[in-house]
Amino acid sequence: MKTISKYYPLLPVLAVYFIMFLVGKNVSGMWQLVAMLLFYCALGQAFNIFLGMTGYVDFGYVAFMGVGTYGMAVTITQLAHVEGLGFLVITIGFLMALLFSTLLSLAVGAVALRLKGAYFAIATIGVNEGLRFFIEGARIWNGSEGLIFMAELNQILGRKTASALATFWADIMVLFIAMSAAYVTLLFMRSKIGYALTALREDEEAAKVMGINVTKYKIIAFITSACFAGLLGAASWALKTPYVFPPEVFEIHYTIEAIIIVLLGGAGTLLGPVIGGLIYGLSKYYLSIYMPGFQLLIFAPIIIVIIVIFPEGIIGMLKNRFKDTSLARFII
Amino acid sequence: MKKNSLTIILSCVAVFCFCFLSNSFAAKKKIVIGHPACLSGKYAKAGEQAVGGIKACIDWVNTNYGGVTLDGKKVPLEYKYYDCESKKESVTSLLGRLITVDKVNVVFAPYSSGLTLRGAPVSESNRMLYMDHGGANNKIFTQGFRYVVQTIGPATAYHEGTLNMIHMTDPEAKRVALAYEDSEFAKMVMEGAETHAKKLGFEIVFKRTYPKGVTDLTPLLSALKASKPDFILGGGHFEDGQLFNRQMADLDINSNALSLIAAATLPAFYEALTSMAEGVMGPSHWEYGVKYSKSEAKKVGMEWIGPGQDEFVALFKKAVGKDTIPDYHAAEAGAQVLAYVLAVEKANSFDTDTVRKALGDLTFMSFYGGWDIDDSGLQVGHSMVDVQWQDGKRIIVWPREARTGKLVYPIPTFAEKAKGKIATP
Repeated sequence: MKTISKYYPLLPVLAVYFIMFLVGKNVSGMWQLVAMLLFYCALGQAFNIFLGMTGYVDFGYVAFMGVGTYGMAVTITQLAHVEGLGFLVITIGFLMALLFSTLLSLAVGAVALRLKGAYFAIATIGVNEGLRFFIEGARIWNGSEGLIFMAELNQILGRKTASALATFWADIMVLFIAMSAAYVTLLFMRSKIGYALTALREDEEAAKVMGINVTKYKIIAFITSACFAGLLGAASWALKTPYVFPPEVFEIHYTIEAIIIVLLGGAGTLLGPVIGGLIYGLSKYYLSIYMPGFQLLIFAPIIIVIIVIFPEGIIGMLKNRFKDTSLARFII
Repeated sequence: MKKNSLTIILSCVAVFCFCFLSNSFAAKKKIVIGHPACLSGKYAKAGEQAVGGIKACIDWVNTNYGGVTLDGKKVPLEYKYYDCESKKESVTSLLGRLITVDKVNVVFAPYSSGLTLRGAPVSESNRMLYMDHGGANNKIFTQGFRYVVQTIGPATAYHEGTLNMIHMTDPEAKRVALAYEDSEFAKMVMEGAETHAKKLGFEIVFKRTYPKGVTDLTPLLSALKASKPDFILGGGHFEDGQLFNRQMADLDINSNALSLIAAATLPAFYEALTSMAEGVMGPSHWEYGVKYSKSEAKKVGMEWIGPGQDEFVALFKKAVGKDTIPDYHAAEAGAQVLAYVLAVEKANSFDTDTVRKALGDLTFMSFYGGWDIDDSGLQVGHSMVDVQWQDGKRIIVWPREARTGKLVYPIPTFAEKAKGKIATP
């Protein structure tokens, strides 16, 4: 019973995803909106593993998504001519995305994680731009021209399946990535890793004095978060968007969006990034429909108001409110 | 009394039913263009222009043209657009809404090749015609999409007109230098230029790229000078184009012609360089002043549709509510409306497959120039116009049917320009 109750906080997360899936499948015209919301939820949840649990802000986070996208894109373009591989190409693509994002996170983490707080944030600012210039300048993976590979996807999977992959199955993969990120977050929270990360987030020096190997735990959180970003890039940017142009996959804008989503929902909470992703995505979507061209003017004050009213995020506030009630076991 | 009440109630029901049915009927009797427009974000400027151009041409179709002729009746056009913020996630979500909730008849793609590509699988899976007015990348049309149709000229065709013009003006000129920004767009433009130059018998004596955000082109230009080209094609964006021209002047590198993509057509280019920019050329999809007209269309045996240039400009100003001259983003988006209207009329249907087939068979001219697509949907009928700075004015020098003045060739040297010589034919 105790083992099952450990997973209670996953219930609201899974319930929200289940409702989103049902709405997307059954309400006409909603699937692509749900796909966008899933992307933002997954982005928030992946980013939360590092930002939320350590308190460190990684401004170069989008670079992990970028290399993940390249992992999938390069696999598709290189293996398109090999007959009979079919969906194995997609599996290899995901493995490549994992490999690329892990290698990059090791390289970045080895240097940047020696720094603390603002110094860490400053050190990571240039990662995405640096990588972009490296790919363009060294002319690897077709350099600045990028890769366009819908034709290769058609060749590998057939036109109908490739189309279904780009318009539906890629979104389902994003859903699984989001759910997996939630599960891993919960595992961390309920284990030694989570306690160590909480300790270092609250006071890194004190955690060190207590004998916690803070570098080790920071690296664990950093690589885990980067791996989910790589997988998200492979699914949402390579399979759903059959092209990769360096300026678009290393755009810092996505890191900023991830920060907003996590802070809106509640950094370090499990349900927070889901709620943050939903609020962020839905506000943007409906404002762009009802006030095209002016939505950002309205959206910015809304974000400021929410952050001012709920400095710990919406779920952070709910967590405090329901602290001693039966709901507390569901909201963490 | 009872009978009267019953009659009144029945009359009301009948009137209500009539109104409801006639409204439903009327609702079907309109053609809706959907558009995930870039009204904010990095493509906002181009997006605003495109929306203005589309509104202007829809206004012309509904008021001057009387609507789209379908089954002998005139059907009005309606425009439904949302702001995609120049972001790929928003493009697909808004495209989904336009197709399934708003039930539009055709979708105009957002600006840029990337965003166009993002929406293509969604429109394809919904069997929706997807018209591209802002994605110049040729590779969009080698991916096997069936419903993507291009209005903007492909990137590879940017310098075709320039090369044809120089080939005709100076058959002795053989040596071409290509120096351009290392970007997806500039590379594709120069790839096309190289292919076309070789086809015309030119020799590529220099070919080199420079990185984005470059601040010094001296080493590259020194090497270029040593190759002694007859003329130079280069550029990528405004900043590097300006630097290119300025440092050519510093190093006193002269050639018979210099064409810079993206930069040379902008008024700010001449404002920044003044006399140094005299004679410099640049290709553009459309420029205010082009001479495309009904009579020009007749001369080349093409059908004409749409407003004349000045009428388009007036409608554009009305649409955006500003006294501003539209640029080529507005013109190409507007011309796309006209292409769709003609195709629907020729197909006498707004069924996607039928209209797509009609678009494939369509050839016409409008204020924007020629329009014709190949089997893949790639635009092959539109010629770029070449603009040259002459005495501080932008003169359209190519193609002949659109030009407002003659080409200055060779252009004055930088030493002559420094002494006050201007480029005049």
